[in-house]
Amino acid sequence: MNFFVKGAWLAALLVAWQLLWMGGLPSYVLSPLQIATDFFTALGSQELYVHAGTSLLRALPGFAIGSALGVALGLAAGVSRGFDETLSPVIFLTYPVPKIVMLPLFMLWFGIGDVSKILIIALACFYPTFINAYYGARVTPTILVWSALNMGAGRWRIFRGVVVPSALPLIFAGLRVSLALSFIVMFATEMINSRSGLGHLIQVAESSLRFDLMYVSLVTIAILGYAGDRLLRAARHRVLRWQEVAE
Amino acid sequence: MRLLRPMLLIACVLAAWELAARSGLWNPLLFPSLVKIAYELGLFLIQPARLMEAWVSLYRALGGFALAALAGVLLGMLMGRSARVAELLDPLFSGTYAVPKLALFPIFIFVFGIGSLSKVALIFLECLYPIVIVTYHGARDVNRVFLWSAQNMGASRAQILRRVVLPATVPFIFAGYRVALPVAMIVVVITEMISSADGLGYLVIYSLSSLKTDRMLAVVIVISLLGLALDRALVFLRNRLVYWDRLDTYYV
Repeated sequence: MNFFVKGAWLAALLVAWQLLWMGGLPSYVLSPLQIATDFFTALGSQELYVHAGTSLLRALPGFAIGSALGVALGLAAGVSRGFDETLSPVIFLTYPVPKIVMLPLFMLWFGIGDVSKILIIALACFYPTFINAYYGARVTPTILVWSALNMGAGRWRIFRGVVVPSALPLIFAGLRVSLALSFIVMFATEMINSRSGLGHLIQVAESSLRFDLMYVSLVTIAILGYAGDRLLRAARHRVLRWQEVAE
Repeated sequence: MRLLRPMLLIACVLAAWELAARSGLWNPLLFPSLVKIAYELGLFLIQPARLMEAWVSLYRALGGFALAALAGVLLGMLMGRSARVAELLDPLFSGTYAVPKLALFPIFIFVFGIGSLSKVALIFLECLYPIVIVTYHGARDVNRVFLWSAQNMGASRAQILRRVVLPATVPFIFAGYRVALPVAMIVVVITEMISSADGLGYLVIYSLSSLKTDRMLAVVIVISLLGLALDRALVFLRNRLVYWDRLDTYYV
């Protein structure tokens, strides 16, 4: 039913768009059919894969580094009071700061290549995962910790067997936010300065009025973002099989 | 006293920075000393032209955010209280949630021009998502018992909406706002970095390309302080409005 509604919606939107286009829209709006044709033509060429690959090679390592650090430090701050009182106020203070402003500085320090981009993506991904892992570890029911203690579990055992599982739902929520964020920041860094990647492609397409190329890169980034989100949800479904996942 | 240790951490970072700046191992362009950054920051704050740039950025960010705050709450409430609207709009929002809306910016430039409007439109779009989704969940999950007892006591639909649903949803609305406001700052800076001749994002890129690293860092500090101040203002407002459910003020 839900699937059907979604399909009907999408079809209606596309048909309306196509009809509007035939009624006469400015030249920078292409029709869905046109975009689809361009996209499949581009799939036949090497160029799109190269750019998409470069982009992914920036977004995914950044996401991996940033979220691994975020989860590890967040969990650590959630269970250790000394660590918490030192680190957390600094993190929460700098949380509302737009991390992208560090890009120029990173470009100076690490060059204008991939390293500065990966690091800025990692920085952006760090915050949501840290905060979610931190809260996840802190909302562990005390009763569970007590009963584990009662049954003679050691500290490490409690951390692995009680704290981490009860933090997992929030950790996944954090991962979902930072995955979306990694794509946004990747796109931004590539639009600001780059010679490759989807952000660069869209920038070039815009300045040379190649609207077909512009929409092709847009569709590609949309598909990649959507697919990443789906994959993460599938992973969450597997890991959190014991928990009823609320959509 | 509780702030002592975090202060110590920050002091250590600043000291390391100053040490790196004075050690002479790196070009002073890479690590300008704190004194020079503070000087540039002071210069920024007394120059009306610079303050105007900050105002331009703020005006764009808040404009887009305010529009999204209004439209998002309306849409979210509608979706939360009407199953039909939710069935219609939920697939649209959750389906395109993970797609970076920033990719639409080049098209927005063609549609809305290269000035403020395209930036405000993009900020609106990026802020809309978190607000709609969180408001939707809040409005949908209002405690049923409250609704029943209000109905029992003869409240009309409008009364229930105003006296029960709205107060129950306000904490969620503010949670959405708190996610969206930093997003507005991020997007305004990014779009100004990509294409603009004014605003703080432009100033960052301009200072970088004229190799004024100290000035660039001063602007970075201004942007950070703005982001921080906006967040604080929002939390203050929230605790005023939602006096019955104060935010856990341990850190936030």
